Amino acid sequence: MAETSTTAEDDQDTGGLRRSITGRQLFFYTLGDVLGSGIYVLIGLVAAAVGGAFWIAFGVGVTVAAITGTAYAELVTKYPQAAGAALYVSKAFGNKVLTFLITVSFLSASFAAAGALADGFSSYFATLWAGPPALLVTLLFILVLTIINFIGITESVVINMVMAFIEIAGLIIVMIIGIWYIAQGNAEFATLTEFETGDGTSPAVAILAGVALSFFAMTGFENTANVAEETIDPHRSFPRSLIGGMVVAGVIYVLVSMAAALTVSTDKLAGSEAALLEVVQTGILPISTPFMTTLFSVIAMIAITNTTLVAVVTQPRILYGMANEDVVPGMFSKIHATRRSPWVGLLFSAVVVAALLVVGTLVPKVEGATLIERLSLVTVLFLLFIYALVIVSCLKLRGRDESEKTYRANTPLLLVGLVGNLAIFGWSVYDDPTSLIWCAGLLAVGVVLFLVEYLFGKRSRPPGQERGEATPETRGVS
Amino acid sequence: MHVIVATDGSRQSLRAARHLKSFADPKKITDVSVIAVTRPLAAVAFADELSPKDRRKADLEAGGFKKAAESAAAVIAAEFEGWGPKVHQRLRSGSPANEIIKAAQQLGAGLVVVASGGRGLSDTVLVGSTAQRVQHYAPCPVLVVRPNPRPRRKKS
Repeated sequence: MAETSTTAEDDQDTGGLRRSITGRQLFFYTLGDVLGSGIYVLIGLVAAAVGGAFWIAFGVGVTVAAITGTAYAELVTKYPQAAGAALYVSKAFGNKVLTFLITVSFLSASFAAAGALADGFSSYFATLWAGPPALLVTLLFILVLTIINFIGITESVVINMVMAFIEIAGLIIVMIIGIWYIAQGNAEFATLTEFETGDGTSPAVAILAGVALSFFAMTGFENTANVAEETIDPHRSFPRSLIGGMVVAGVIYVLVSMAAALTVSTDKLAGSEAALLEVVQTGILPISTPFMTTLFSVIAMIAITNTTLVAVVTQPRILYGMANEDVVPGMFSKIHATRRSPWVGLLFSAVVVAALLVVGTLVPKVEGATLIERLSLVTVLFLLFIYALVIVSCLKLRGRDESEKTYRANTPLLLVGLVGNLAIFGWSVYDDPTSLIWCAGLLAVGVVLFLVEYLFGKRSRPPGQERGEATPETRGVS
Repeated sequence: MHVIVATDGSRQSLRAARHLKSFADPKKITDVSVIAVTRPLAAVAFADELSPKDRRKADLEAGGFKKAAESAAAVIAAEFEGWGPKVHQRLRSGSPANEIIKAAQQLGAGLVVVASGGRGLSDTVLVGSTAQRVQHYAPCPVLVVRPNPRPRRKKS
């Protein structure tokens, strides 16, 4: 009678995972993830870089990102394991150093993004209550998100959808204001073709500068690879939801930038820390402006929180994976007994982000760039590097592990995307070499962790144990 | 009777499984379903602390958290091998408490075995623990296996 049936040959409901995420939920996950980040946070900076025509920068940034999205979609349908860029690069190149570099880059990008978003949050927070200093708000923000992640209440896909709807609602408010303004006949459409070419720069350069920043607004889509495994019918629904979500986000971005450019002067947008709020504060809609201001600030804060949460979830997850591969100290794979959260990783990530914010608040006064601009550029640099490599990996992995169900990205488009990624990368480095110092600093965190594990990792093991082998203590069942 | 043994990959869940074995009558149990739930949106979707560490590493590389969950479920299932009842392994994804309760309903379970992880302050202060929710909403009796109490240190 004794019979242990294993997964494969058991009856209907065993076998694989019972998948829980529908294509539509994935679409909103993508949309919410992408929308929250950029536009609320740095529309003002993009406007300052390009001028009234900054919607073009968003359009170009979105296009390059969406093309990169097709490479992700192809790779995800080939390798649905939730591992993302590091796995693809490892499959394509089989080079451990490169894989480590990609993983650490992704981790660093996520740190910088969380910092930039926290700063964006504090800008909107200040419009509601200007009392506490920005640094305190950002630090508390990160602390609260870390606690939320520790408890683990972000697991609900429903909450994700609600957040996405709120984010979209905020952007729709901006669009309605734009339409209302045009309907009143006040709009000057010439603004939309104005370029900030004051110091002899050509429009193309102005756009390129804006694209680098606007690219930050598209980041976040790569996190959807995390949930690919749980998606129902991933071969069909994943490419559609991912690219569909990005295209919709792109259209919303372009329309919102147009609305902002028409209703508020570029100088005012450029000078504002919470630029989209300026649009609401013009009082164009026949609704009480203070009420709208409060409402919009709250929406913006929810949107930013949503995206930051995803970033904060990603960091300990990467550290956990690395600890299991013995490239960072083993304590990062420690799981809290009750909450099942990687608490060491969470805590460490929070400390790194906090350090970024503290250093960033003290240093840029010398350098002349704002904290948020710096951190978003650093994020973008890391991500451009990753995206370019993902596209190369996608091309390199052609012909391997394919089935008729595999989604196939358009090759010429991928090449355009690769050139686009590299062009933006090159320009950003050329324009702002200081960012490289920050990138190096973040990479150093990863390298230090590796060295700590390499030099001291084996001491905690009894003699005769291989790196990675379980000790009785780590395995032991009482 | 169909018994569901839930695992979150913790050693405590293995103890829960052993506890069931220690007193239950295998003749009265027809099926044992080992259920592992991955949490796609959590920082670590599934932490396998049961398989040997090199196995875990290979799992994460080859199949991500799903593989980790499979391995953990396999360790628990192996506990019941040769005990009598049919053993099944089932993987689900979502909120652990919800998925365990849903599985109990779908399988018409007669008993759900869960482990209650912590014994510290966090367990009592923070709401929403899986074991607590399963106890409240499961359609059948629930066996919650608590950790051994920590030996009290005498203060002088």
